[in-house]
Amino acid sequence: MPKITFIQEDGKELIFFASSGDTVLEASRKANVPIDAPCSGNASCGKCKVRLIKGELESAVTRHISELEYADGYRLACVSKIHEDVEVLVPDISSAYKSRMKITDLSSENELAIFEETRQNIKAAGLDLKNDWHVITCFMDIPTLDDTMPDNERLIRAVKKVTGFPDIHIMIPFSVIRILPDILRNNEFTVKCVLQKKKDCVILYGIYPEHINPVIAGIAVDIGTTSVSALLVNLENGEILAKSSAGNAQIRYGADVINRIVESCKPGGIQNLQKAIVDETINQMIDEMASFAQISRNDIVKMCIASNTTMNHLFLGINADHIRREPYIPCFFELRNIKASDVNVHIHPNADIIFAPNVGSYVGGDITAGALSSMIWNKEELSLFIDLGTNGEIVFGNKDFLMTCACSAGPAFEGGDISCGMRATDGAIEAVKINEVTGESVLSVIGEMKTKPVGICGSGIIDLVSELYRCKIIDSKGIFIDGNNRVTRDAFGMGTYMLVKPEDSGTIKGVFINEVDIDNFIRAKGAIFSAIKTLTESLDMKMSMIESVYVAGGIGSGINIKNSMNIGLFPKLPADCYHYIGNSSLSGAYASVLSDKVFKKVVEIGRNMTYIELSSNPGYMDEFMAACFIPHTDINLFEEK
Amino acid sequence: MAYKQTSQKFNAAINSVEIGTGNKTLALGGENVLPFYSFDGPILNPPRVGVEISDLGMNDKLAGMLNFYGDTQDVVELVKKASGMPGAEFICLVLDSADPDGENRSVEDCVAMVKSVEEAATLPLMVMGCGNTEKDTVLFEKISEALEGKNIVILSAKEENYKNVGASAGLAYGQKVGAESSVDINLAKQLNVLLTQLGVNNKNIIMNLGSATAGYGFEYVVSTMDRVKMAALGQNDTALQMPIVTPVSSETWSVKESLLEQEDMPEWGSRENRIIDMEVATAAACLAAGSNAVILRHPSTVEAISQMIKELI
Repeated sequence: MPKITFIQEDGKELIFFASSGDTVLEASRKANVPIDAPCSGNASCGKCKVRLIKGELESAVTRHISELEYADGYRLACVSKIHEDVEVLVPDISSAYKSRMKITDLSSENELAIFEETRQNIKAAGLDLKNDWHVITCFMDIPTLDDTMPDNERLIRAVKKVTGFPDIHIMIPFSVIRILPDILRNNEFTVKCVLQKKKDCVILYGIYPEHINPVIAGIAVDIGTTSVSALLVNLENGEILAKSSAGNAQIRYGADVINRIVESCKPGGIQNLQKAIVDETINQMIDEMASFAQISRNDIVKMCIASNTTMNHLFLGINADHIRREPYIPCFFELRNIKASDVNVHIHPNADIIFAPNVGSYVGGDITAGALSSMIWNKEELSLFIDLGTNGEIVFGNKDFLMTCACSAGPAFEGGDISCGMRATDGAIEAVKINEVTGESVLSVIGEMKTKPVGICGSGIIDLVSELYRCKIIDSKGIFIDGNNRVTRDAFGMGTYMLVKPEDSGTIKGVFINEVDIDNFIRAKGAIFSAIKTLTESLDMKMSMIESVYVAGGIGSGINIKNSMNIGLFPKLPADCYHYIGNSSLSGAYASVLSDKVFKKVVEIGRNMTYIELSSNPGYMDEFMAACFIPHTDINLFEEK
Repeated sequence: MAYKQTSQKFNAAINSVEIGTGNKTLALGGENVLPFYSFDGPILNPPRVGVEISDLGMNDKLAGMLNFYGDTQDVVELVKKASGMPGAEFICLVLDSADPDGENRSVEDCVAMVKSVEEAATLPLMVMGCGNTEKDTVLFEKISEALEGKNIVILSAKEENYKNVGASAGLAYGQKVGAESSVDINLAKQLNVLLTQLGVNNKNIIMNLGSATAGYGFEYVVSTMDRVKMAALGQNDTALQMPIVTPVSSETWSVKESLLEQEDMPEWGSRENRIIDMEVATAAACLAAGSNAVILRHPSTVEAISQMIKELI
């Protein structure tokens, strides 16, 4: 058996004995070494690059690796077979999804403002944001030979006395019972308790020494197919204590939900996928956030998940195979009574996990939560809510009706399937302008001043494609028109536009975009636009009747609406109709974790949505083909009026 | 109540495109009614019938073909004979010999051959490539240059090579550009838009929307042609108002009904009759769906289809 040594960027080494003929990717999965493989090992995405340090691999040449890189030892893990002992370096980019975890402190005011706005909007709509969470101080008599009541009864009596609920059942979870004798005696039988009053019982979540001011914390999580973001919040006052975002560690099992489901059906697959999202992604985010906010994980007593249907199934370890098979039936839309200990999430074991409800196999809780925070359910005007994610979901309607559909946009808006694509984090180019005379570009890069660009995020790609088209560097099909000095063609005839030269960038390859990237992007934007058109036309309405558009998604706050219309991503409407509402799924989850009333509203919104299945709509494919053109095959839709 | 005929009036029309020069010219399209709807209004130009000749000669010695062409394999001779075929209105020369996977005839030789064919033909000429996009791109450029002023039709510019073919045939040498797509209204329209964005005049483009043999998913062909015509006439969509030419025989001669010999399938009867039947059925269906011209191979089919057109218009 050949021996493969994986050397990770941080110096960690892992030795694994592979079967001869295994690819590096297969070996890495068996050895549990994370290598990013969005295409599931089909040699089509080029993301699973590793660097050969020692030994030889039987490796096919692909267009993803230049001659220079090949000579330097770079290989695609999925097409490199192991026959002898080798050492490979797993570069940072391979584990980007993991290492790029970013804890945002509370300095990013723009982002905070969006959550605050959600809170205000929901309040204005008449929904109470308060829950029955209480911190009470209990004074108990110290037991004596004459007063032999056990600790738990003593505590229950005290709680009943303080709260004035004499007849209600008080539930003390095991996690509290276990520490009860010591904590009572160390504090002379005067303690603080965190409890929640529910309809028929009171749950005592925590017990603390009297001098401590316990934080009642909740956590809101948006699980996206590509990225995951979370908020740690104070349930008493809604204050945001910490914020975190990370790539979804499941990405090494495939870039989209279909590939993930396929992977989950392999032996042990569902456990692997659940482990990837719970242990490798969410629990780590919780650890980071809890230590940032200086609270204990046990102080987190409630969690709200907003995610697409596949993601919430896989999070729970539930078979998701029927989501992708006709007639596309998920295991649940609404789900109750899930506790943190059921899925091994590292928060209070008795914490309730609530799920924003799913509406269909491809319209999930992220959209019901997003629809909540977009407030379109409370508006008179015809509004459109668009979530630009790996799956593009669209909700159209107002306070009287809501229609929804989903389309598969692919991960392009989040930087996936794009050679130099990345999420909107430090080093990402988020805006581009090209001077049509000189060909020079002006870039805006996320991060501190003088951060060197390392990639390009969704909003940057929109700008770049729009500018390339405006400056006549690409044609309507997204193919380079020869003659631009930044465009080169490789041996396969594929054109590449160099946006940032290697020496000016933070990577060895520079930042560029090629025709395959642009094609992926055009398909993504075509899917979104044709879904909007099909949905509105299914109601016999015209796109010009849309009065407001709410755009959500992790593509970066700087999305340029004008450019988005120029390339035909969004319908041509007055620019002031458009509103960017950030990660609406997360803000919906945030509001839901704070208040049961809000959560009820989300459930109601979910039940009121009518789901349209685009794949069974005969006109959709035609609309999609028509939209895969810049701006659109039907140019009249985009002419200045 | 007496029957009252209402006619469907459109304010738009299909472009009328003239091909060829001098005393061998032919106009395609120009109508503003649906196919064969002569009761709604006059049809400016009836659908046209062309004869396909391969520069490899006749690869199939069928009695009807031999009877018409004789035993010659010389392409100029074949074209001369085809020019006199009853019902034939244009010639479509297919440059099969240029295929790099076949004879791989040089571009220069091909150009010389096309020149002599053009001189010998008494009908307007369309030129079809060998199917290898790279070779065709070069061929089309050189042929367009050599036949400047002859107003031939280059079949075809595709998405992969529209820039070169459009620039040479359409812009530099004033030929007519065939725009080939594969049975999809949006792809057809996109290619037309790309060609016009390049500067090629709308009126110099002829569409080849692609086809299939009748019975082989032909519904897509009907639906595509139908929607193209409805968009062109009903919505005045200028990006779809080009006349449609459909190479029929290249499709129908390669299905099993046309390939299997009588010995292999005695219950199917004469192979030559089957070939003619498949060609006639498909060509008639294409014309009824909206083609402004069909390209055929067998003399009997040419005669039958031109007869059908005469009877219907």
